[in-house]
Amino acid sequence: MSHKGKNSASSAKGKKPAKSGAESKGEDVLQAVCLLPLANTPLIEYTLEFLAMNGVQEVYIYCGAHTDQVEDYIGRSRWTSSSKSCPFSVLQFVRVADARSVGDVLRDMDKRSLVDGDFLLVHGDLVSNLILDGALAAHRKRRETSAANIMTMILHSGGPADHRTKTNGITPVFVVDTKTQRCLHYDEMNPLQSDHYLSMDPAIADELSTEFEVRADLIDAQIDICTPEVLALWSESFDYELPRRNFLHGVLKDWELNGKMIYAEIFEDGYAARASNLQMYDSISRDVLGRWTFPFIPENNIMPKQAYKKHSNNVVIETGASHAADAKLQNSVIGTDSSIGSGSKIVNSIIGAGCKIGANVTLENSFIWNGTTVGDGTVISQSILAGNVVVGKGCTIPTGSLISFGVHISDSISFSTAAVLSTVTSIGKQVTKDTNLLGPDSNAAPFFDPEDDELDDEDPSRLQKSLIYSLADYNLSTSSISTFASDVDSDDDNDSNFLSTDVAHSNRSRLSSFASDDSAGKMSFHADAVHGLLDALRAESGDFDSAKLEFMGLRLANNASDAMMRKAVATAFTRRAVELVTPEHGGLDASKAADKAFTACKGASKFVNEVGVGGGESAQIEFILALQRALQHYSKGQEQSKTATLLPAMLQQLYALDILEEEGILGWWADPRAVEGESMAGLKEKCRVLVEWLENAEEEDDDDDDDDDDSD
Amino acid sequence: MPSVSTGHALDLEKFLKSLKGQPLEASVNSLISLLKRRQIKGSEPCAIATAHILLQVVARSKWHDVDSLLINVSRTGRKLVDAQPNELVIGNIVRRVLGLIRDEASEDRGDTADESASEAPTPTDIVPPTSISQQWTTKRFESANTAAPPVRPPIVSSYSSINPPKSLFHLLSTSPPANGDVSPFKTSGASTPTWRGNSGQIHALRSEVIDGIEEIKDEISQVDDQIAASAEVQIHPGDLVLVHQPSTTVERFILRAAQKRKFTVLIAMAPPRRHSAENQHATFRKKLSAAGITVVNVMNGGLMAYMSRVNKVIIGARAIVATGGVVADAGSAAIARAAKEQGTAVVVLSGVYKLSPESPFDESSLIEWGDSSTFVSFADGPMVCGAEIRTALTELIPPELVDTYITNLGTHSRDHLSSLISDHYKREDADFHIWEEALS
Repeated sequence: MSHKGKNSASSAKGKKPAKSGAESKGEDVLQAVCLLPLANTPLIEYTLEFLAMNGVQEVYIYCGAHTDQVEDYIGRSRWTSSSKSCPFSVLQFVRVADARSVGDVLRDMDKRSLVDGDFLLVHGDLVSNLILDGALAAHRKRRETSAANIMTMILHSGGPADHRTKTNGITPVFVVDTKTQRCLHYDEMNPLQSDHYLSMDPAIADELSTEFEVRADLIDAQIDICTPEVLALWSESFDYELPRRNFLHGVLKDWELNGKMIYAEIFEDGYAARASNLQMYDSISRDVLGRWTFPFIPENNIMPKQAYKKHSNNVVIETGASHAADAKLQNSVIGTDSSIGSGSKIVNSIIGAGCKIGANVTLENSFIWNGTTVGDGTVISQSILAGNVVVGKGCTIPTGSLISFGVHISDSISFSTAAVLSTVTSIGKQVTKDTNLLGPDSNAAPFFDPEDDELDDEDPSRLQKSLIYSLADYNLSTSSISTFASDVDSDDDNDSNFLSTDVAHSNRSRLSSFASDDSAGKMSFHADAVHGLLDALRAESGDFDSAKLEFMGLRLANNASDAMMRKAVATAFTRRAVELVTPEHGGLDASKAADKAFTACKGASKFVNEVGVGGGESAQIEFILALQRALQHYSKGQEQSKTATLLPAMLQQLYALDILEEEGILGWWADPRAVEGESMAGLKEKCRVLVEWLENAEEEDDDDDDDDDDSD
Repeated sequence: MPSVSTGHALDLEKFLKSLKGQPLEASVNSLISLLKRRQIKGSEPCAIATAHILLQVVARSKWHDVDSLLINVSRTGRKLVDAQPNELVIGNIVRRVLGLIRDEASEDRGDTADESASEAPTPTDIVPPTSISQQWTTKRFESANTAAPPVRPPIVSSYSSINPPKSLFHLLSTSPPANGDVSPFKTSGASTPTWRGNSGQIHALRSEVIDGIEEIKDEISQVDDQIAASAEVQIHPGDLVLVHQPSTTVERFILRAAQKRKFTVLIAMAPPRRHSAENQHATFRKKLSAAGITVVNVMNGGLMAYMSRVNKVIIGARAIVATGGVVADAGSAAIARAAKEQGTAVVVLSGVYKLSPESPFDESSLIEWGDSSTFVSFADGPMVCGAEIRTALTELIPPELVDTYITNLGTHSRDHLSSLISDHYKREDADFHIWEEALS
């Protein structure tokens, strides 16, 4: 697991001036575990081959973590620009220090003006053999028709039945016009959410489309053909992080505001998938074994110096590998210099280079990376053994296990449930050996990911953490997933009441995070209001009254509740303050940022007082809570220390502006809701000094100048 | 699918266009990638691409004697063969070029004795290459007619023993770098007369070999026409002819016959692919109907019922191995066997360039396996997860099932193939890939 953090995001674009001159195409790769071997070939190779196959000329690679490793790998491979065999005219790494999400990377791309024409955006863990000529031509044609057609997504049909290559847990739902292929709505569903409904804008049925499909079967490899306008849109909405859940959802939702259109090309042939998690890694590996990714299969030796040959039983063996005559091999791939002992049975497995598999070993559905040794008589089923692992004799490794690099396991160790073993902890330190569990020769211990605890119970990404997709631990039935499609299908035909269900009524009490509120449908008010306020705040000059007017108009139009307004105001000001502490905007310290956020605009503080707080102690408590939640959203990244101190700074500022009173702050301090969730408590703790100061001040002189409001 | 110029995906056409602008190594690597990705597939495109790239190797790689040229060509050839080992045509073209170089070199050496004297005084290297090549082409034809047969055998056998002393001598003669000239082959005036003669020879050999490769390219492009020429002899009026997934070669063959004869064509088709079912061979059918030929489409499964009435089965080959076995589209072998049972004649159409001196003992190593999604949709979850799907693109028709081979050189029986092979390939090149491995 330790290695799983090797995130790399890369971006690529290629330009090919066509007849009309300025046209170009390109691409971009994001967020990958891209050096991990899939069928003994690093993932990034598949991605770059896909790009080369489609005639891409310029590639820009953005890396998240482990940039050095990726750069080093590419530098030594045939892809490097200095190599004569590189099919790209440009292959360049772009380093962004403070990028925490795909959104940050794309905003950086926009800033650098790397692309001036259309480009292709892909992730570094993409495996695909699609030829995009048709989609590109269609995209270009739409571009010529209207500049508002900004993006074309490449999706692959997954069929109505269960399919291993569909993402588990999170189901992407696309609403696509059948005639124009315009994507009208995007949402994500997961079995953990409380309601199994998809809320759509009634305008979809009323004015946007006469005939549309709601498709939950699509395999989305996140291949996007984009125009530079896409980057501009990303820059406009600086809080978008994910290309689908945030960006696509947001842009489609606000179609009236931005007037942009996004299309979906749905492929029936070919193959495209992203190895974005372990389950997908497993699925794609099986697809490679099943030759679905043709021509990117081991037998074709896509990388130089590979020398695989196909033998009977669909066993593909590289020159230099050896196996005992009585070993049973079936549907497997075996890398060079590996040996397999007599009587072993290898089924549906991929074995890397230099592995030693002892006698009478049973390997089923497993992936074994380079240099691993498996002792005699061991049984391994559906697990991943990373590089240089040593497994002793007579061990049993059950389904779903993950054994990280360099782990040693002594003889005769059996696990009853899936084990996740590592030699290092999540922060990179050596673990204390767990010799009880793993035997005297071991150097490893079970691995616990601290992020697991941070994840919300309702967060569907929990479902994708393990190698085996299972809902067994969750208190629900999978039937809810499969009934979903039929629900929607029947509904969208004639039941327009369902579509026009008033979104504001779905007032779910989800405290987890603002981002997840998107799905509730009240996003449009929230997003529009926050946008409007932010624009006014960013302008820093001029009157805030117009912004206020707009805000109130929005409120009336959407029939927004006080709580929603409070949330919107709190979010807008928090975002502005967070923006101000980031280096791009001068990196002010927390108190200055808070000061600037609330006072730079004339009328802003008054607005907060009247609209955001507007009332007594309970309203103040609610507003502080809203601020705290908004901040919680930002407190996970690198700027954590700075944003965390924003809360006391903002409270102090509001206190100084007479918007908040002692009672409000102290009431919040005592409120149990302020400590729900781990980071909330952390944020609260930062305010201790302020609260103590307030308490002391109260004791010392009761007739302070804000006594006049004490009557609340 | 012929790609339009607006497309970005690579194909043969784009590759050929890119040849001029790229350094040689890049071209070779890009061709290897294209072959591996199967973006160039099928015997004819592979043959054309191989011929083009070898021409580039001869024209642009660094070589200073015949040996190093042979090494360059076979090294590149080996890489190409490795990239697509199932496409025997690639190896064939490489062998043809290697044989060509040996031929030219041996004539060259045979002629040096008298030629060097006459050529040394004339500044050959200033003469434009075209005139040299003309000079040499004419000479080549003379020698091909008269001198070549007696000269060849001894030269070939003692070839490697003659050459090293020669190059060693050259090495010695340049060893004192009197004028600091490191690469004597580039210049002419500063070198000794011996050198000038040799560099002239190299120059001439180069253009000679290039001409030879151009001839191979021409041959490939004319194959279909030449094969079609024997159509009238093969197809008689009233015949019922069965073709299996007709390639362009087969189509032209049938169309040529259709100009003169009236007959019926049965087209055996693969099970319809999911999307292109309607378009299979549509243009071919239209052309035939225009020529007044009755066309019947038959699915592979129902073929055997028709076999007793069929007079001839015509199969387009992807390659022919030395034993006479034919690598053809999957499904052909069953047809050929059915034809054999019914005593129907099986005719195989193939350019000579597809005839390979190789005869692999492992038949399965010749078979190209394709994409699983050919017949099963990837969207069919239960099939994808529950079934192992194998799609063979080619299969081997055993030699005993084939009655006649028609090439661009005429009609042959199986026994005649070996003489065709020995005419076209040199024995020492048969295993050029193994030979090269030993060298490197």
